[in-house]
Amino acid sequence: MTISGQKVVIVPCSGIGKTYGSVSRQAAYIVVEDLRPEDTQLAALSLLVMGDEASRAMLAENPAITIDGCKLACATKMVQESGGTVAQAFAVLDVYRRYKQFKPQGIAELNEGGEQLAHVLAEEIVGIVDHISIDSDVKDHHKGCENG
Amino acid sequence: MVDLPKKKVGIVSCSGEELAEGTVTRLAALKVLEHLRPADTVAICLPLFMAGGEGDRAFARFYPTIAVDGCELRCAARATEMYSSKPAASVMVRDLVIENNLGQPEGKRHLNAAGLQAVDVTAEQIAALVDKLLDKRWDRRAGTFAAGSQDTSVCPQDMAETGKEATCSCGSGIPIQKLIISGQEVTFVGLPLIFQQFREAGKAPGDAILSEIMDTVKIYNPIPVEAKAAYGEAILGEYRVFWGKEIAR
Repeated sequence: MTISGQKVVIVPCSGIGKTYGSVSRQAAYIVVEDLRPEDTQLAALSLLVMGDEASRAMLAENPAITIDGCKLACATKMVQESGGTVAQAFAVLDVYRRYKQFKPQGIAELNEGGEQLAHVLAEEIVGIVDHISIDSDVKDHHKGCENG
Repeated sequence: MVDLPKKKVGIVSCSGEELAEGTVTRLAALKVLEHLRPADTVAICLPLFMAGGEGDRAFARFYPTIAVDGCELRCAARATEMYSSKPAASVMVRDLVIENNLGQPEGKRHLNAAGLQAVDVTAEQIAALVDKLLDKRWDRRAGTFAAGSQDTSVCPQDMAETGKEATCSCGSGIPIQKLIISGQEVTFVGLPLIFQQFREAGKAPGDAILSEIMDTVKIYNPIPVEAKAAYGEAILGEYRVFWGKEIAR
């Protein structure tokens, strides 16, 4: 969490028809639950689809990282439609192109390749989260100096 | 000669990431789609409704859908109704947990035993609704559908004979049809189904129905303003062919 209390919002697409959707969901959980629980929070795409006020407020106050499973980029589009700021948009397919040794399969249950791909994707997301957090802290620090 | 794909049921799950019940909806929907009723169901992606998935919207407009929600907010049911049409049936995991005296599902990534039980119960409920919507009776003893209860709609394979395809960008099974307009091939989503609806309503091809059929086609397909007349002529011409085939049957 930044000094000002901001938490990066992680928004996976969670597409139900493709393996990459499951990878996006799994990567989001790894970031939010395991790697950066203090710095991140999860937003449910279904709530955004319905224009949920709390979710929109969360996006209005915090930067978002989206993870899309296909070219339709539902997560990114939804965050933008909801008035949020996409700090970084990840596409699982692009990540897979960089790590072709991890071939994902399965939707309800990912194979080992899918789990590994989710982990490397999560590590890339964490890099962005840390960058955003440091930036925000520096800005908060500067504000504090100016005010104090 | 057949023109329509086999009737299927669309499954829309909320997949809510922030609740264990959301994971239950996702896994239950996948169990139905992949194992219990793979031939009778298609997945409909909830976010695609909003992100402009015309295929998904069109499918839910023409075919029955089952909304599967994790909690009282019922995002899947409400979104389906808002962006397409009212779901034919609705399932809510929390209701099923209470009705079946199940434990509290926990674990968004890895469901606990109660969560896995909820997946099974929810999937069975969805499968039963699919059968009801398709008017099928499942013979538990035989492990197959009872004789005489099969849906009599045509099969997707039959469509290949007519040059139509049972596919779209989302893979939901909504039929598309390609027409040549001003020398260009143009793909129309849902056209065979629109023709079928007009045919069943007894609306014979002609100038009298041109405006109405174009309004319906426009819901699912972009019509360039400058080519409106050419599109209308091509669509009406194709409807005449469809009408003729139906009369000849």
